[in-house]
Amino acid sequence: MFVGPRMKRALVTVTAGATLEEAARLLKAHRIHHLPVVEEGNRLLGIVSDTDLRNATLGGMFGGADGGDSGRPVTVGEIMTRDVVTLRPGDTLDDAMLVLTHERIGALPVVEGDRLVGIVTKADILSALVSSLDIGGMGVRIEVVLPRDVKEVARLAGVLGDLRAEVRSLVLAPRGADEYAAFVRVATIDVGSLKGRLREAGFKVPEVAEFLE
Amino acid sequence: MMFDTTRTTGGFGDPLPESGILEGFDRLIAANRLFGAELNPTVIKKSGKGAPFLVCPHPSRSRMLDLWHDLFANRVPPHGFLDALAPEVLGLAHVEGLLLFGKDRVLYDCQIARGDEAVGHLTLCFYREREPVFRFLPFPRRPGRRIVYIEGISLTAQSTGYASSLFRRYERLFHDLGFHRFRLKASLSVGKYYWAKEGFDCEDREQFAGMRESLHALVRRLGLPVEEQEIRRLNHASMVAAFRRDLPIPVYRNAEGYYAVERDASHAEEFRFPLGKAFLLCSAPWDGFKVIYTDTPRRTGYVGSDRYLDHGTRPGHVESPKRLEALFAAIREGGMGESLILLEPYVPAMESLRAVHDPAYLEAFREAVDRGDRQFAVRDCSISKGTYAAALLAAGGVMAGIDAVFSDRADNVFCAVRPPGHHAGRASAMGFCFLNNVAAGAHYARSAYGVGRIYILDWDVHHGNGTQALFEEDPLTFFCSLHEHPSFCYPGTGRRLEKGTGAGRGATLNIPLPPHAGDTEMIEAFERDVVPSIEAFRPELILLSAGFDAHRDDPIAELECTEDAYVHMTRRVLELADRHCEGRVVSVLEGGYRMESLVSSAIAHIRTLQGREVPPCSSARG
Repeated sequence: MFVGPRMKRALVTVTAGATLEEAARLLKAHRIHHLPVVEEGNRLLGIVSDTDLRNATLGGMFGGADGGDSGRPVTVGEIMTRDVVTLRPGDTLDDAMLVLTHERIGALPVVEGDRLVGIVTKADILSALVSSLDIGGMGVRIEVVLPRDVKEVARLAGVLGDLRAEVRSLVLAPRGADEYAAFVRVATIDVGSLKGRLREAGFKVPEVAEFLE
Repeated sequence: MMFDTTRTTGGFGDPLPESGILEGFDRLIAANRLFGAELNPTVIKKSGKGAPFLVCPHPSRSRMLDLWHDLFANRVPPHGFLDALAPEVLGLAHVEGLLLFGKDRVLYDCQIARGDEAVGHLTLCFYREREPVFRFLPFPRRPGRRIVYIEGISLTAQSTGYASSLFRRYERLFHDLGFHRFRLKASLSVGKYYWAKEGFDCEDREQFAGMRESLHALVRRLGLPVEEQEIRRLNHASMVAAFRRDLPIPVYRNAEGYYAVERDASHAEEFRFPLGKAFLLCSAPWDGFKVIYTDTPRRTGYVGSDRYLDHGTRPGHVESPKRLEALFAAIREGGMGESLILLEPYVPAMESLRAVHDPAYLEAFREAVDRGDRQFAVRDCSISKGTYAAALLAAGGVMAGIDAVFSDRADNVFCAVRPPGHHAGRASAMGFCFLNNVAAGAHYARSAYGVGRIYILDWDVHHGNGTQALFEEDPLTFFCSLHEHPSFCYPGTGRRLEKGTGAGRGATLNIPLPPHAGDTEMIEAFERDVVPSIEAFRPELILLSAGFDAHRDDPIAELECTEDAYVHMTRRVLELADRHCEGRVVSVLEGGYRMESLVSSAIAHIRTLQGREVPPCSSARG
């Protein structure tokens, strides 16, 4: 739930005085896309992404208005983003997800005071979601649409129990103003029968085709 | 009736007729106990009965009457005043008490005696500050706060506890008379307190010149923005002393909250305080750590009404009338009603409410109550026949509080209201809230009193989502909320990244605290984030959404604070309010669902608002 336990602590960082070539080499060697820029004591100064690097070098390649080399950035400090959006170890993963979506960035350095202690990327969040919802796991997804009534959810769980379905995960989300959508992952080869039995019990189980709108 | 409102405050009732006051003057003049006073142009002598003023013939009766009216509103007769100032305490009495009328102040001068033996003397000074009408222009001026200070006191009998006992009585007396400040101006080695020497030990002209020179040197050394002119104007030792005492100088604080006069490796954080206070902070025996509060209790207003009990909720619902019943009873039984200024809430004009809420929403709310529905909008918002009226009166209660602080009837106010308000949005009821009381108060302050910057601090354990949404785009209304983290606590909003939108970006501050956080975390977050934001915002009014459900005994959420956190935050808010908005704070009850902790926390909060029974503490950690 909290950012602290989930963040990457073994960090690859760079100083403000490093050249763009050094930064590019680091990104490639470690297969990452963001480099926090720090100074003495891991104090966070800014962040530089591979997009920033690309923009800086491409811009230089096609030259400025005068066609010359003047003004072309040479160090990381010149191209880094200084106003970094950060998290704290006590923040939750919801916070991380909301910030990443809201701010449209790819990585969030985690700080204590102004000291860098970790980093959380979009990829990390995705893998946390995938693993906690067992998306990559064995099983088939069934979607059931229910009226917005908790008693119906209890009834669904009861029916799945009676059918002895091997349920791997169950996610309930609001759908429209007065329905729920329940996403059930079941580990059974005979999904067709299961769907049939759910429909017999009065549940709305749309076919996949109906969602492709 | 909740309180006996026929009882007048502290024995001083309606103003007396002028003839009575004039008669009182005549009586005292005949008994040689009333004279005039003018400032002594020569320097004073330390020993003997020296005073910084000379006794002279009294001014005209009409001048004296004007002064008496200005200072005491004619609520006390002259000899009654002399009697009140001279209680016998610990076997010591006042003799030869005189009333002296200066140009703009009244002095009380007496000898202190044990039986026949003279053991000391006391001089008090009563005056009224004159504050500029427009902040940046020195003139015109209007009457401001009433101040009483100790011009001089000496006692040969030390450590008897006399001064403390006497001052304790004086605090009550001056408070009842409507005085705002009771200050120690002179140097004292009386009692337990050691104060900066104020320069009354000044024997001759040469020494006086030395005092001025040392003040010059101090100003030069610290590079303070003081003009030559300002120092040259000080032509009396007491004036030099007063100037020195109030001169703001830089002091430096270290991480533990200790102060030093010089900056060094550990004392790095700079603060500016008047020199008198800086001296106290930096020197033993207080370990540079403690601040002594000499102000009299503040005049705290209190809004409450039995009509709030008419808002009924279903059986078992935690937001029940019993919460306020218990609080009202505790205030009554604790005798606090006598020291609070009771204010009546009123039903606000519909326009005032429409400034906050959608008219259709207000209609729907009223209709639901009239129809006899058991809930409005959501299950949490349980209602009864009396709900609509109570909700209107709650919003009106905050407005009554605002009226009181802006008409100088009170310095600060606590509104014991229900239903609470901070979850209510423009057209939405939720979380036990229907009308947003604090928002209504803020809008009212703006439209009725032209208030500009308003700071709303919400320390209820739940995020004040309604208030935040209402002022999200408003750069003039700063909204700050301390609450349990939204991932774990209703209503699931109030993340740090929510900082306001559009023109209001940067005028919203959310401070989520993890579950099981307590006083330490709350106070740390408060000092680190809230205090600087109030300083930077420079509000003209501070509103508190004071819920007490972050208490560890409150079952509704998982924070574990105690009364200490509320006392600390209240005290600091008052300090900041003193600096920026003349102490104007209106505090409004929100949540708090365990009777005992709600009552004890609210009472601790109100006592702190009053400035009573508050032990000395540092600013870093109470």
